[in-house]
Amino acid sequence: MDGHGQRVMAVDNDRTVLELLQIRLEVAGYRAFIMRSGRQALDLAPQIRPAAMIVAAQLGESDGFEIVSAIRARCPDQIFPILMTGRGLTADDVRRALVCGAQNCMAKPFSGAEAVERIGRLLQAAHRPPPPAAGAEPAPVFYI
Amino acid sequence: MDGADPGESVLKATVADTLDVLSWEIELAAARSIYLDSVIGQMIGLLPETRKAEFLESMHVVDLLSQQLTGLSAFSRRMSGEVPDVSAHVSQALDQISLGALADRMSVALGGIEKGLNDGDGAGDLDLF
Repeated sequence: MDGHGQRVMAVDNDRTVLELLQIRLEVAGYRAFIMRSGRQALDLAPQIRPAAMIVAAQLGESDGFEIVSAIRARCPDQIFPILMTGRGLTADDVRRALVCGAQNCMAKPFSGAEAVERIGRLLQAAHRPPPPAAGAEPAPVFYI
Repeated sequence: MDGADPGESVLKATVADTLDVLSWEIELAAARSIYLDSVIGQMIGLLPETRKAEFLESMHVVDLLSQQLTGLSAFSRRMSGEVPDVSAHVSQALDQISLGALADRMSVALGGIEKGLNDGDGAGDLDLF
């Protein structure tokens, strides 16, 4: 257990993916908050104040990229890394994720172990001193 | 040819998508066994030294199960990217799954209509959402 109880929100419309992430994150010592809709994530993110988020690019009724943009706009004082996941992500998708405020992308399908490892690395990078500037976003690191 | 009742709608999916959905479900099963492994580990920590050996064997079996499932999931995930673009009827295969919530989840992931079996009590599956 090395998640130290840090809060991680996961947003995906696929129940299997969500339950997989919930179990893997909690076994790794994180507190997982799982949501099936982007709207729900948008409403609850300011209260939950997650240390990191995992957001699916395809959310069924909403667009994951737009949700990430809206979360960044709604939580301007909260600096946390966002990992976007998606099937068949293109270079344009990755660029769009960066513009929207995500730090990292991971292609579906992925394993639970990969997801937990990626979140751990993002959190490490976000907390690595010294920060580039006061209040700045974590440096974007992209790999699929 | 597929033996389905002509009155029923027959769900068809590509073999790649079917393997992909299967890999997610195996990965979830692996996660559940990893959770079980961690629970057994916590229980062992509470036991007196004289009784720990009995449970260590169980923990080893669950650990092997987790590794087996993780390996099968990785295999299925990789194979989903290797198979040619062919489709197959999946309705009858889904009917073989006795756990309704699991069959419903897989059906939805393969493009079928959700029956809501994951939402009610007594679904026979974890209802976490």
